Amino acid sequence: MDTLLTAEIAANAPRYRRKSSTFIDAIHDVPEDQDMAPAQLYSTMSGRLFHSGRIAIVMVGLPARGKTHICVSMARYLQWLGVKTRIFHLGDYRRATVGPGGTVPEDYFFPNASPQSIILRQKILKKCREDIYAWLNHENGQVAIYDAVNPIASGRRSLAKEFAKHDVQTLFIESFVDDERILLENARNVKISSPDFAGMDPDRAAELYLKRITMKIPMFETMDEKELNFIKMINAGSKFFYNNVSFNYLSHRIVFYLTNLHIKARTTFFARAGTTTEDEESYKSDAPLSEQGKAYARKMAETLTKHREQEAAEQGKPLRPLSVWTSTRRKTVQTAEVFGEKGYKIRQRSQMSQINPGACERLSERMIRQIYAEEVEKHDLDPYHHRYPRAESYHDLAVRLEPIILELEREQNDLLIIAHESVLRVLYAYLMHCSTMDIPTLKFPRDEIIEIIPAAYQNEAKRIHIPGLESSIVPGSPDDIKIPVTVQSIPPSGQASGEASGVTSGITSGQLSPIAGGLGSPAEPATERPPEKVINKAKDMVADKVDDED
Amino acid sequence: MIMASKAITNGIGVQVEDTKICVVMVGLPARGKSFIAQKAQRYLQWLSIPAQVFNVGNYRRNDAPQPTADFFDMNNTEGERKRRAAAEAAVADMLAWLRSGGVVGILDATNSTKERRKWVLDTCNAHGVEVLFVESKCDDEDLIMANVRDVKTTSPDYKGQDPEKAAQDFRNRIKMYEKIYETIGGDDSEEDQYTYLKLMDVSKQVIINRIQDYLQSRVVYYLMNLHIRPRSIWLSRHGESMYNLDGRIGGDTLLSPRGEAYARKLPELVRQSVGDDRPLTVWTSTLKRTIATSRFLPSHYNQLQWKALDELDSGVCDGLTYQEIKDRYPDDFAARDEDKYNYRYRGGESYRDVVIRLEPIIMEVERSEDILIVTHQAVLRCIYAYFMKKDHTRSPWMNVPLHTLIKLTPKAYGTVEERWEANIPAVSTWRAKGSTAKHENPTPDSL
Repeated sequence: MDTLLTAEIAANAPRYRRKSSTFIDAIHDVPEDQDMAPAQLYSTMSGRLFHSGRIAIVMVGLPARGKTHICVSMARYLQWLGVKTRIFHLGDYRRATVGPGGTVPEDYFFPNASPQSIILRQKILKKCREDIYAWLNHENGQVAIYDAVNPIASGRRSLAKEFAKHDVQTLFIESFVDDERILLENARNVKISSPDFAGMDPDRAAELYLKRITMKIPMFETMDEKELNFIKMINAGSKFFYNNVSFNYLSHRIVFYLTNLHIKARTTFFARAGTTTEDEESYKSDAPLSEQGKAYARKMAETLTKHREQEAAEQGKPLRPLSVWTSTRRKTVQTAEVFGEKGYKIRQRSQMSQINPGACERLSERMIRQIYAEEVEKHDLDPYHHRYPRAESYHDLAVRLEPIILELEREQNDLLIIAHESVLRVLYAYLMHCSTMDIPTLKFPRDEIIEIIPAAYQNEAKRIHIPGLESSIVPGSPDDIKIPVTVQSIPPSGQASGEASGVTSGITSGQLSPIAGGLGSPAEPATERPPEKVINKAKDMVADKVDDED
Repeated sequence: MIMASKAITNGIGVQVEDTKICVVMVGLPARGKSFIAQKAQRYLQWLSIPAQVFNVGNYRRNDAPQPTADFFDMNNTEGERKRRAAAEAAVADMLAWLRSGGVVGILDATNSTKERRKWVLDTCNAHGVEVLFVESKCDDEDLIMANVRDVKTTSPDYKGQDPEKAAQDFRNRIKMYEKIYETIGGDDSEEDQYTYLKLMDVSKQVIINRIQDYLQSRVVYYLMNLHIRPRSIWLSRHGESMYNLDGRIGGDTLLSPRGEAYARKLPELVRQSVGDDRPLTVWTSTLKRTIATSRFLPSHYNQLQWKALDELDSGVCDGLTYQEIKDRYPDDFAARDEDKYNYRYRGGESYRDVVIRLEPIIMEVERSEDILIVTHQAVLRCIYAYFMKKDHTRSPWMNVPLHTLIKLTPKAYGTVEERWEANIPAVSTWRAKGSTAKHENPTPDSL
């Protein structure tokens, strides 16, 4: 099968609405129906899981309360579990209705608004809700997240009634913040990049923004409707109030997730472990780092430290604390030692052990094809779910990593994860919402640290080049099960946007079309590469949403 | 610490690390505290996290086996002293147990004053143990009375006493506690800094405050799914299948004639066991034999199919007899006998894998009322092990006969089991550890 051809067919097919690259957080893409989600345990005919029926999650809260962040994170997690989830931002509908450059009337959010404003409001609401019903009814949607302010109790009651009429249960999630510091920080981080605040001191701009909100939306009633299902998240998760009238596994699961979520700014870094004394195919021996591997560990630590200091200086903020997680495998533990010497806290986690190659350990590709010809065929068909004898599949790995994912959400410090490429693939896929088709072929060359910066609307990825490494240690994991995934997906040499050094770099799977312009290409020879490369700028992509009121 | 993490590595999907947690129950008597404590322990154990309940009442009973209500009067200095001593002994034992490898200690007592809670918190923190308070608050008189009735018949405090008198005394005891009871948190108290979960009116309302780590959030998540309304869970295997007749495992065959007879008899068996006409919710797997077994149940029973209830996937061994497995995969056959819980069939599953995929089912069972689950041998063993607290070395070897309805009723101090035989003969699908490679008749200790 010619991968280039496949990619083109896929890209031109009418249903192909995925973004062109695994570099870009795909959380807002329309998923392909036949794909199972990364950690999905089973599937059903209706496409709905946990016998939960259809649910509308209705957000409640004034702007700058982190609603969008909660929506997006929740959607990310639910989709990871296989629950078909889509977010409907009312703001998108309002913008579409008033047109580019248009604004809503002054009294748009007032309880005693003029008839024209009310008509406009209803028109916008109607369009949004029609889309919600259409998606739930005709596209097997299960959870629709309705992102709007929903400030008034009576409005929320009638909303619940209306959804009930369509056989849709409602769960309200309010983000309530009375801690001034959190409010200001939220406003400063996401709300003040509009031209209105240009050149202003960020703290003053944030205050001004919050004042405007109070003028614009003068009436807000916090939730106290005993007959409704609601979760009130107080001060970014320090306290939860949960009013449970008739809810189920899925809503409890959401609470569980929310108790691990926070909205503080922090960054996650991914790095590979160094090379070991054994040949790279060994799994059971758990070999220590080689001299070369130790040199890598030092260079990686240097690069990361320099990068973090630079970023902090650019933002004029103090350096955030850094936690380091490794697996319990010796090479990852030893790679982290440099950080330990510098006094960083290092935690080992057994769930982050590399994918178990089972019977394929130390077998060459030719041997695997010879001994397990049938298995190779099966693997070709479904590289994500297929499991070689005694081995783990990527799906097994994703399920095993679930607690790590919740802890990753929980972590408040910057976080460096040093792990085997197979583990990085799955964690990266969660944060950037990659499809299961892409996961087994994501590439993490050793000369790059990946930085993921969570943002309210979507996550942003950067690659930080580690200079001065010997090219022999750079390529992707040779100690992985080295079979057909790689055969299928390594693009013919020179095809993936030119590899001057002969090294496969970049995280694209090769099955997707080349990276869209301006998002960085993995092309330059190692020596000429700039120290850091922005893969995408979440901020630029959502510039029109930054100034949003709901 | 090393012991603990060794016991819980790989595959179980729960992060424990180096955290030690003391779950401190809070609430008046008859609010289901012991029930919650027992459940939490069983759930954590089932997931391979070492957990243990320390019931202060049991310590107190050493000193005062069957005290009357005035023992619990706060003005009774002798009673107060003994109760304090009991709490101290329980906490000391719990800390020692946590040091020796325990991960979650559950302190089951009323802990009804702010002063007492502060003492527990300070003591635990001094030993590097995190504290999660769990308060059960309930003002529903009917529920409280149901609990009182339950307790007076099962609590050792009232063993052998006149039930009416026992109930009266127990109500008086509750009154003693009500005088000094302070709910947790609120009013800008110091307790707003505590980590706590407050369950009000059987989790109709819940407050979650300052969760510190993942394991705490996991426990909270589980407890939110619990309720204390009386109910039962009925378990049945599918009727004898065509593969059962041949001694083959797995597959997706239909019922044998005797299995068919069981399916026809099941509605009557269920009705007898339920005692009245109230409907049950029926869950089956997605395999033909469980669906066929349930198809004659009354139409007002709501039926749902769960993929997660499908039989343990035996991978390459699917459709083989034990003899064939032994011949073709002798190493596997031996390895499975060695550690049946952790053994994963080539290309298939282990019991541990099944437990992980059953977790949503367990959560859903916990929040459901009367329910009938028609499923398969291995899955049933895992569910049964959860309710009856069977450990991993024994549960995979348990005999679960065909054509038998099992009724489990969770009570404050454990689960009550009843069995209803259909008296329709069927083959045995059980074999003992290390025995010959064929199904045999179960021995008396195989359950």
